Amino acid sequence: MTDKFDLHLERTLDAPRDLVWKAWTSPEHIKRWWAPRPYQTPECEVELHPGGKFYTRMTGPDGFDFSGTACVLEVVPGERIVWSTTMKDGYRPNEFANDGGNGFPFTAIHTFEDAGNGQTRYTATVLHANSKDRDAHAAMGFEGGWGTCADQMAEVAREIGAEA
Amino acid sequence: MLNDSASLNRAFAALADPVRRGMLARLSRGPASVSELAVPFQISLPAVMQHLKALETSGLVASQKKGRVRTVHLERDALAEAESWLTRRREEWEARLDRFEDYVTSITQENASDR
Repeated sequence: MTDKFDLHLERTLDAPRDLVWKAWTSPEHIKRWWAPRPYQTPECEVELHPGGKFYTRMTGPDGFDFSGTACVLEVVPGERIVWSTTMKDGYRPNEFANDGGNGFPFTAIHTFEDAGNGQTRYTATVLHANSKDRDAHAAMGFEGGWGTCADQMAEVAREIGAEA
Repeated sequence: MLNDSASLNRAFAALADPVRRGMLARLSRGPASVSELAVPFQISLPAVMQHLKALETSGLVASQKKGRVRTVHLERDALAEAESWLTRRREEWEARLDRFEDYVTSITQENASDR
């Protein structure tokens, strides 16, 4: 079932599936790529079981500080993870401010498949509510940083390479 | 920014109703009087006025009264803002996946050079 408010994304990544899975599900890896520079992800917790926590906290210049807890709904190790911001861990519903200041509800379905030659096909389906509570990017306050241009992303990659 | 978000909320609320979407579709072809807008719908004039009020509050349409006729027209900027919401969601995810791709590629190369 697809809705006009769904997003579908697909990438073939030049990395083996076990590593792609680890990079997508381990806090120490997520912290390295989750936020666009100059924003950072100082905190991240992931519990890989239904009802588990998917928590990130992003901070940035001018006091930007945004944390969100999503609920893990489904895990097939190495193949599939589904989490939703509609709930926090333990299936407890999240509350959303009308101004979008603490995020907005969506469910993300991620799949990982071998694509041969040590590559991995990754897909993401992002489901949004189609009601008025589907909320604004603008209030999240870092639209500019979020839609990072390719140059800046290349720089991030170089930095990671230099640190390593 | 908070105001932007609130107006977007109102726009989505206004778009959630089939009568209002029908009115917007009609207005996309050009301005119309209130009675012209009411024609396709089997609803009372007060109901039509309610829907118009919701559309005006959302910023999606504006109206002027001249004599006894109120003419309604589309505010294209507000509609464009609502439409671009999903486009921006996509851009965010694409940007995040770009970062993810750069990252997994870099650690894969590290692993390979370790061997």
